[in-house]
Amino acid sequence: METQYRGAVLGGLICQFFFGIVLVAIYRALYAGKPQAMPLSHVTTYVWLQQAFFRMLVATDPELLDKIRSGAIAYDLCRPLHLYGYYYARILAQKLTGSVLRALPMLVFAALLPEGWGLCLPASVPALLLALLGLILGLFCVSALENITMAFTMRTLDPRGMQGMLNLLMMTLAGNILPLTLFPDSWQRVITLLPYAQLLDTPIRLYTGEYTLSRAPEALLIQIAWTLLLVLAGCAFWRANQRKLIIQGG
Amino acid sequence: MNTLRLYGRSMAILIKSQLQYPLSFLMQTVAQLVMEGGEMLALILLIDRFDRLNQWEAGDLYFFFGLMSVSFYLTEIFGRGVTGNFPYMVRTGQLDTVLLRPRGVLTQVLCSAADPRRITCIAVGTVSLVIGSNLSQIDWTLPKILLFAESIFFSFWLILGLFMIEAILCIHSVKSVELANTLTYGGRSACEYPSDIYPRPLRILFTVIAPFALVMHVPASAILGKPLYGWPMWTAFVTPLSGLALFGIMYLLFRKAMRFYRSTGS
Repeated sequence: METQYRGAVLGGLICQFFFGIVLVAIYRALYAGKPQAMPLSHVTTYVWLQQAFFRMLVATDPELLDKIRSGAIAYDLCRPLHLYGYYYARILAQKLTGSVLRALPMLVFAALLPEGWGLCLPASVPALLLALLGLILGLFCVSALENITMAFTMRTLDPRGMQGMLNLLMMTLAGNILPLTLFPDSWQRVITLLPYAQLLDTPIRLYTGEYTLSRAPEALLIQIAWTLLLVLAGCAFWRANQRKLIIQGG
Repeated sequence: MNTLRLYGRSMAILIKSQLQYPLSFLMQTVAQLVMEGGEMLALILLIDRFDRLNQWEAGDLYFFFGLMSVSFYLTEIFGRGVTGNFPYMVRTGQLDTVLLRPRGVLTQVLCSAADPRRITCIAVGTVSLVIGSNLSQIDWTLPKILLFAESIFFSFWLILGLFMIEAILCIHSVKSVELANTLTYGGRSACEYPSDIYPRPLRILFTVIAPFALVMHVPASAILGKPLYGWPMWTAFVTPLSGLALFGIMYLLFRKAMRFYRSTGS
């Protein structure tokens, strides 16, 4: 599906590159004035990894919203499927294909940038493997989050209020607008425990070595715990919704 | 003049109609507040950590940020027809009905939509401007007030002009064009900061091609008493005109593009 609109994908990529370059330029100028404990190369790496996997964060499935509003969801209810599982799998698949397709060219580009602008190498080979594992867990976690957002839409039938707010909150607290590593040091303990930090922040910190190998198990466990919790909450929410669901339209 | 009155009445009706669903409107404005508040939070945290950006101090940065959000979201409120609706009108063939009426296409498009939810973004921008003005201790003399108003006025035309690029492209290719976002939304994000912090290619982009620097940063830095690029004070009164110039060029291109318009509706 994604490869059918190559123009749109390319346009989106160029847009992401541009945002990445601008952000890196700002952090470079800031670092020139007052260097921080965390090296600049970690910040630029953070920016590029966030840009590369940006697609994982944005809401993906407008179809479901339409289905709920038009009442076409009745067809899905007739299928011999676990509804939550079905939509979880759909969202997961869309996020995976969408982000892989964009991440690869993006990372190649970022790796080719001159010293001090681009992506730095992972802290070590195990760090890279752990980061990949963290990224996969992040993908499971973000899909669970989005399913909960969807469940809100089933209730309110309007995706713009509550969900809009949750999505925007996610952009800030997942580190897309400002790397979480640059938030005040006293906030770190709390923001890294929030579910939003599990999506991309944890894998990026594993990649750069911000989370050392000895801390990695703890970080991954937090990711797993949130994923399980969000899936269970989402399941319960969907089940409650299904009982109350009014099929719109006719 | 008649056109202006028509536009004013359309805006009044559109805004009134959106206020008919007060709860939904409230929720959406709060969502906008979260969005723009998040952007400002990022700025606050950056200033907290880094104190300053080259020669620009905290107050200056708040001022630049506020100027951008006020102008950008003013354009989104009153220019929604161009910034949001136009590609949809082309894709669905709604534009056909517009062509039948005895008014200019652009007038009707501008009259077709408003986005009052953005009011909270403007509120955030205003707060940022006030903080910036206080921290940088701006002495508001008459020329500075005029300069400020001029900058906002021409920023509106500049941003509207940049959004018209998307309108022009979508007449030619029908599919919406993310590329145009680079200049509009990308320009907004980048030019929340003064353009002289960027490396040369980006500086040229934002000075010559999408002249955010000329329309916003030159007057703002003159108001702050730290001329951008070291240009003399009087230039600050002239450079914002480039915003209207850009809009003029885009308007001509838009009229040219309209001749290629092929209906897609059925």
